[in-house]
Amino acid sequence: MQAVREGDLGALAVLFERHHRPLFNYFVHMNGNRDLSEDLVQDVFMRMLKYRQSYQPDRAFAAWMYQIARNAQADSIGKRKLEIAMPEREFASANVMEENLKRRQEISLLKKAMSRLPEDKRELLVLSRFQNLKYDEIGAILGCDVGAVKVRVYRAVKALGQIYFELSGERAS
Amino acid sequence: MNCEQARTQFVDYWRGTLDDSRAEFDAHLAGCERCRAEAEDLKDMWATLGTMPEEDPSLRMRSRFYDSLREFRAREAGKRHAFAWLRHPAFQAAAAVLILAAGIGSGYFLRGREISEVSQLRGEMDNMRQLVALSLLQQQNASDRLRGVSYAYRVEPDDSQVLSALLSTVNHDSNVDVRLAAVDAMRKFTDNPVGRNGLAQALGKQDSPLVQIAILDEIVETRDKSALSSVKALAANQDANPEVKQHAQWALRQIQ
Repeated sequence: MQAVREGDLGALAVLFERHHRPLFNYFVHMNGNRDLSEDLVQDVFMRMLKYRQSYQPDRAFAAWMYQIARNAQADSIGKRKLEIAMPEREFASANVMEENLKRRQEISLLKKAMSRLPEDKRELLVLSRFQNLKYDEIGAILGCDVGAVKVRVYRAVKALGQIYFELSGERAS
Repeated sequence: MNCEQARTQFVDYWRGTLDDSRAEFDAHLAGCERCRAEAEDLKDMWATLGTMPEEDPSLRMRSRFYDSLREFRAREAGKRHAFAWLRHPAFQAAAAVLILAAGIGSGYFLRGREISEVSQLRGEMDNMRQLVALSLLQQQNASDRLRGVSYAYRVEPDDSQVLSALLSTVNHDSNVDVRLAAVDAMRKFTDNPVGRNGLAQALGKQDSPLVQIAILDEIVETRDKSALSSVKALAANQDANPEVKQHAQWALRQIQ
């Protein structure tokens, strides 16, 4: 990113290749909409170009990128007036087909539970579990310290667990 | 190590990153059935989360990116010559004044257009939500009280009855989860000085690190200077949980 900042705009292509997929998955988890998520990934990379001077080389790139991503996601909610009803469809994926029925149900239930989790908790799980960011990176993105990140992630997992067990109870009865 | 302290270590336990406190943590789990059950149940959830399949974006996304990048570079190259006058401070100042004037004008124009029937209906709905929230918050059963807290999100932010019921939940509820949920719900009322003061005072009364951290987060969110003394007291408290103390010190830096 430092090269981009110094005027080599083509260097953004390297960053795109490395980060667009995880970023796309972040957005899909946050808004449940593939088309919107693709728009937002595009938006984030364009913002990186536009605001390239605000990048500080001594900070982790991932933290900066997710900060831009959060703003883009927040702006899209303002524009679209919140698409709360997240689709509970199966995401197309080759591995899902190969897995046995029980596991497929488990995953689909988990996705449903994720979609019902409040946005801030869902975001913490996406950053800590799916994007595998370190606690200090998450702290930099959210603007808090490592201890608080740990506590919040614990609370998010617990809330997810509660929704998940309620849903599996509904299914059993 | 007590239950509260153990719960702050759960995530490290699931990630396998417990180091110094491993022995203490294991000892607590060995002696506490409830924490052991919760740690193991949620550990499975954590593991399953890690196996969720990733989505693949469409191929169109890549071509779109490269098209835009090309366009942007071409524009940047052209802009340097053609639009130098746009960067002139005098032009920028004039444009800012114009936009500000337009904004103020349209604000005045739009104000005062309210339809009375809609606001009457809204008033009736608010009353009903208030009733439900207040009665649920009084229940014996913790899950009913949690539902009461979630109803509190739906009342108007100037509803002082629901606000004081929530504050009393934050201060006195026996269940940590209910208290935590009530702190989260207070976010709706932080424009209200009573709400902000209430939270600042509640900070000193809490013994749960989870609730203390949640309250500190709220205070930082609102940049509430009137909470400074409560936060300072916590940051200097020798008996406070080390993570809470550290978080309070961080919060102080944010508000000051």
